[in-house]
Amino acid sequence: MTKMKNLLFILSTLFALQAFAQTPAPDQSKRVLLYGATAHIGNGEIIESSLIIIENGKISTIEDASKIRIDISDADYYDVIGKHVYPGFILPNTTLGLADIDAVRASRDFDEVGELNPHIRSIIAYNTDSPVLPTIRTNGVLVGQITPQGGMISGTSSIVEFDAWNYEDALYKEDDGVHLNWPQSPRLDRNHNHSEDSKVEYNDDLLDLEHFFNNAKSYYLSNKPKLDITFKAMEGIFDGSKQLFIHVSSAKGIKQAVLFAKKMNVQKLVLVGAEESWRIADFIAENETPVILNRVHRLPTYKNDAVDMAYKTPKILQDAGVLFCLDYEGDMERMGSRNLPFTAGTAVAYGLTKEEALTSISLSTAIVLGIEETVGSLEIGKDATLFVSDGDALDMMTNRVTLAFIRGKKLDLGNHQIDLYNKYSQKYKRNLEIENGLE
Amino acid sequence: MMRYLYLLLFCLGTVLQALAQQNFPVNGVTSTYNAVHAFIDAEIHVDAHTSMKRAILLVKNKEIINVGQSIDIPENAIIHNLEGAHIYPSFIDPYTNYGLLEVENTKWNPRPQLESNTPGAYSWNQALMPEFRASENFSPNNSVAESYIEMGFGTVLSFRNDGIIRGASAVVSLADGKAQELLVKINNLAHYSFSKGNSQQNYPSSFMGSIALLRQSIYDAIWAKHNNDYSNLSLVELHKILKLKPIIELDNHYAIRNATALGEEFKMNFIIKGLGDSYLSINDLKNTKSQFIVPLNFPKAYNVSDPYDCLDLSLEKMKHWELAPANASLLASVGVSFAFTAYDLKDKKDFLNHLRKTVDYGLSKEAALEALTTVPAKMLNIADEYGLLKKGMKANFLIFDQELFNPKSELLENWVHGVGYTIKLKNEHDYRGSYILKIDGAILPLDISGTPENLKAEITTKDTLKVSFKVENKLVHISYKDKYNDVIRLSGQGIDPIEGEGQLANGDWVSFVMKRKAAFVEIPKEKKDNKQLFNVDKVTLINEMGEQWAPNMAYGWTEKPKQNAVLFTNTTLWTNETEGIINNASLAIYNGKIIAVGNEAVALIRNKYDFEIIDGEGKHLTSGIIDEHSHIALRSVNEGSQASSAEVRMADALRPNDINIYRQLAGGVTSAQLLHGSANPIGGQAALIKMRWGASAQEMLFEEAKPFIKFALGENVKQSNWGAYSRIRFPQTRMGVEQVYFDAFTRARAYEKEWNTWFKLSASQKKTSKMPRKDLDLACILEILKDEREITCHSYRQSEINMLMQVADSMNFTLNTFTHILEGYKVADKIKAHGAGASTFSDWWAYKYEVNDAIPHNGSILNDMGIVTAFNSDDPEMARRLNQEAAKAVKYGNTSEEDAWKFVTLNPAKLLHIDATVGSLKTGKDADIVLWSNHPMSVYSKVEQTYVDGRLYYSLELDAENRLRNNTERTRLIQKMLADKNEGKAIQKIKKDRSYHFHCDTKE
Repeated sequence: MTKMKNLLFILSTLFALQAFAQTPAPDQSKRVLLYGATAHIGNGEIIESSLIIIENGKISTIEDASKIRIDISDADYYDVIGKHVYPGFILPNTTLGLADIDAVRASRDFDEVGELNPHIRSIIAYNTDSPVLPTIRTNGVLVGQITPQGGMISGTSSIVEFDAWNYEDALYKEDDGVHLNWPQSPRLDRNHNHSEDSKVEYNDDLLDLEHFFNNAKSYYLSNKPKLDITFKAMEGIFDGSKQLFIHVSSAKGIKQAVLFAKKMNVQKLVLVGAEESWRIADFIAENETPVILNRVHRLPTYKNDAVDMAYKTPKILQDAGVLFCLDYEGDMERMGSRNLPFTAGTAVAYGLTKEEALTSISLSTAIVLGIEETVGSLEIGKDATLFVSDGDALDMMTNRVTLAFIRGKKLDLGNHQIDLYNKYSQKYKRNLEIENGLE
Repeated sequence: MMRYLYLLLFCLGTVLQALAQQNFPVNGVTSTYNAVHAFIDAEIHVDAHTSMKRAILLVKNKEIINVGQSIDIPENAIIHNLEGAHIYPSFIDPYTNYGLLEVENTKWNPRPQLESNTPGAYSWNQALMPEFRASENFSPNNSVAESYIEMGFGTVLSFRNDGIIRGASAVVSLADGKAQELLVKINNLAHYSFSKGNSQQNYPSSFMGSIALLRQSIYDAIWAKHNNDYSNLSLVELHKILKLKPIIELDNHYAIRNATALGEEFKMNFIIKGLGDSYLSINDLKNTKSQFIVPLNFPKAYNVSDPYDCLDLSLEKMKHWELAPANASLLASVGVSFAFTAYDLKDKKDFLNHLRKTVDYGLSKEAALEALTTVPAKMLNIADEYGLLKKGMKANFLIFDQELFNPKSELLENWVHGVGYTIKLKNEHDYRGSYILKIDGAILPLDISGTPENLKAEITTKDTLKVSFKVENKLVHISYKDKYNDVIRLSGQGIDPIEGEGQLANGDWVSFVMKRKAAFVEIPKEKKDNKQLFNVDKVTLINEMGEQWAPNMAYGWTEKPKQNAVLFTNTTLWTNETEGIINNASLAIYNGKIIAVGNEAVALIRNKYDFEIIDGEGKHLTSGIIDEHSHIALRSVNEGSQASSAEVRMADALRPNDINIYRQLAGGVTSAQLLHGSANPIGGQAALIKMRWGASAQEMLFEEAKPFIKFALGENVKQSNWGAYSRIRFPQTRMGVEQVYFDAFTRARAYEKEWNTWFKLSASQKKTSKMPRKDLDLACILEILKDEREITCHSYRQSEINMLMQVADSMNFTLNTFTHILEGYKVADKIKAHGAGASTFSDWWAYKYEVNDAIPHNGSILNDMGIVTAFNSDDPEMARRLNQEAAKAVKYGNTSEEDAWKFVTLNPAKLLHIDATVGSLKTGKDADIVLWSNHPMSVYSKVEQTYVDGRLYYSLELDAENRLRNNTERTRLIQKMLADKNEGKAIQKIKKDRSYHFHCDTKE
């Protein structure tokens, strides 16, 4: 095993692009005991000094450690007194694994040709060996919704765990939803004008969408004489087995999207992006539409907007009673998504409580994605997908993940970058030793 | 438009009298007679300040032969009775493309074009066309001339609007005739711009590149002339037109500064053609020597009816809409001399209305008239013949029915070179009134109403009958359907009575007579009152006039922040000095400087000044964040079209109204180095600014800064991600990059030698010797070799970092900073040995192939090795969270908090050689400081106050005030625009502001 690791190490440094991710962890064999950490449940509650027992990949016990007697024999016992334990953070709406390096076209696999592609499935392009993945989980992000981009309907996403040999292993929920990019209104022409033409184009886009949805629904209600793979992929939208994720940023667009989904009898609608949701938070709350809010570390939409508008949007949604969670879509979203916890931290500086902010990247995300039965919080019976940090995981100064589990499997927290760090630290250490005549 | 018939007959004669055209053959017989025209009884405005009532203007041939109140009218003169009318000199437009072919846009070509496609021995660059002469390309165009004549112009300057150097223009008359007759003055003004126009050649691709090309070209022309080198026709022609009065066209008021600097460099006093926003630079224009050409073009109100769509409309556009008509009066208020132009005006019918609007907005009538007559006349060097109504001047004048600035006044005739053009034909008689029409035994009451030009007639029997009543060449046509639906048609003459004949429906001819029984009485129209549309508060909003803010946009100041004496007490100071972090301490600032650090020092000066006290309990006070690598506040970022663009200066491309300046103040940033992009190995000269929000471009520059230049290595410079066509510009590999540097530095040394030799020559030797060419590119590179300029080099891979250090070592200079330097950790020992510093990203990687080995521990390793290490942003969003980025050095690389904080404050100050004035809390340093709500590197910390030069540019309270002011102003302007819409005024669609989100690899 050690030899194997060395070999991998050498390969990874020689052929940087082909760098391998860390070896996936074996299934849990022994009971795991985490003793003494402050447990952040994910639902707003905290247990100051907790005991967590993991059995068969599930949380079997989570209690105040002082109230319980434990048997540590035949168990992997971890003294984590003074540390913090969190549910694994969940990254919705991400292209992680669908590309490794933005600038290398051959590595990009998230945008298929075509406008209406519900049948496109992200999961088959998901690269479990993407060298980016291990650098994300070292900050506590353990689960993600792998989402295609581009076109009007970009395709179908799937939810994965960030530790697997292949995509089949990685799957947590297959084909969880279809992603629709709402047409821009008013569309701007090349000179940034609101032109009348663009309004017509926008209306055309909406008509196209309506037409497409009507056909999809008709197909769903028919006895399906012939298989139509496009409309087949849309069925779940109408029977509730798939969610419809509408990616839309403007206030006007959000309203139109919500009304459209109602008209089309879409069973489960989720708004994605929703940068301007703060303008119409009450409308969204009244319609009980969940929101995956675009990256908190974002510039305001307009010059006129408050400079901290993006930072304080989570608080506005929280106060309005909107179910929301945070994503990291945008520039350099894959490598940058290890900063997801810190965007939640920023939301704390601008109004949320720390536990509310935590919920927005754990339990709320699980609820929005429909996986809250098994993941998203530290509760008995749920998957032991969790991690331990030396300090507050939402603050970059103290986020130091020392232990992480996905369904009880203990993760290798190394990564390509740590390997390089160690390698070059050796170089200078050796140089220093030579200088000092120690060698 | 109609010309007087009799003038047409004499027109040919006029032509033949022109001396220059006597050699033209005549197709027919030659007329030699020129009648005298006498314009009598009008008020004649000789110039803007002088007018004579009931005066006489005598015109013969092309000239005014006399003007005055008591002069003799020759017996045979053709008399024009103009009682009540006003005569003015015709207008002169100093900025048109009249008579020149429209410049057609060439299609964009994705393939790079490195060389000029122009045939002939002309400039290497297609954007330089000093050889162009409007006079050689001018051909009169009647329909275009008419549009100008209808606005009141008689004479215009014509130039071609293409390129950076546009050649010489011509002053031409708008009269009919051949080109030869119409040229008034040729080659007396030269035209320039900062826009390359139609050229598809890659260079210049940026604003600062355009300026550099213009400067270099002028130096080249002088050099070629000195050396008697006539091989490059463009340089020869450029040298000629350099002697002419220069006009430069600008696209933005910030470019006035660029034109002024260019003018100072080459002793050229530019006439500045602005875009109607020059008032926004009014503070810089108080002592300007430049004259301006001001377009009479104002934006229409925007369609703000949808509250969501309206969000796309920025406050700066709204404020400019409101203030644009005041542009001229504001310029006049600081003594700027200007002429008006109709250039940029889409609907020429707006011209006179806009002129009157400028007067409504405070410009004196005299100044407005001068700006259309005497000022442009002098500007175009034609004041001896144009612009005034005086004996001996050209007969170019306008006849208005009333005083020009009266909104109801109309231009009736425009006389150009003694030829009259009728703009508006007024009926000689007002036919309106009540009449009795007798015809075929019937007696019918007939009313004529409407306007004198647009008459409405009806027969007012029991059933009102519509009547068509038209006057044509003194004959009156009447037709109507009688009660049997038969059409009756009449034609008559006279005024009262109108008599004549007509034909009935049965074909019988009859006579008729129409007698006036009462004069017309005008019923005043009901005027719509805003008060009926809006409640009182909104009316006040609408009638209010906005102030100009600095900058004139959201978050702009109404009053510039002041340098106060401020004392921070009981707080935690991050000194970045040997004192380290001091708890429960005080700090005082006064007059822009830190004057005391620590409780003891503060106690000594406590009573000396009247301090504003800020209780800093629980808070942290630090020096301001300095961003070593930023692209905000710029209008372009890359001149990447050549391997070296050392000649370009980022300071030329400053955009001081970038909202990101304000946003970054809210993130505690007080200084930023604005760098050229990374599109080529040798980039451009950097600009270091302080975040003085609201200041002019010049005021924003960091005074004591040492000059820097951006270099770049790796993927970007070899155009790796530029697509399939960009495969021809050298270099395309890292191997080529090394050679670019060797070549540049070798040539720079040779250049130095050449000039040193030249400087040793005596004055007389110089006259007979070949002068070396001044090369802005090499001159800048030479500054590096002479240690007068530092390098900050965009770098990733270790091999090329080592390469550049080898180049530097071999050329005997030191690289100051490796910026980005993501593989710095691999060669930290070598960087240290060379003596360079590092400014890196905290955790960026995997966005390009070359950053595959970037690690978030990089900064810590470099710092541990004793290299001056900073974290930079290269991103306008992340720049406002550089405090959080610093924290990542603690997280990933275990750097101490104190050291990590220096990554974004003291260390970048050291790298930029400004640590003597900023970067730490030290007595005597600039009061560029930030008060944090919390530990400055905590994600939970917020900026509460940011000071630059001791001025409070951001605070939570100020920000709340600013937001309130933004929204009040928006609301007011939206109501004002809606009022325009409700009054039926023209409105325009909303246009979103251009986005300037620059990174290193933005290609402009």
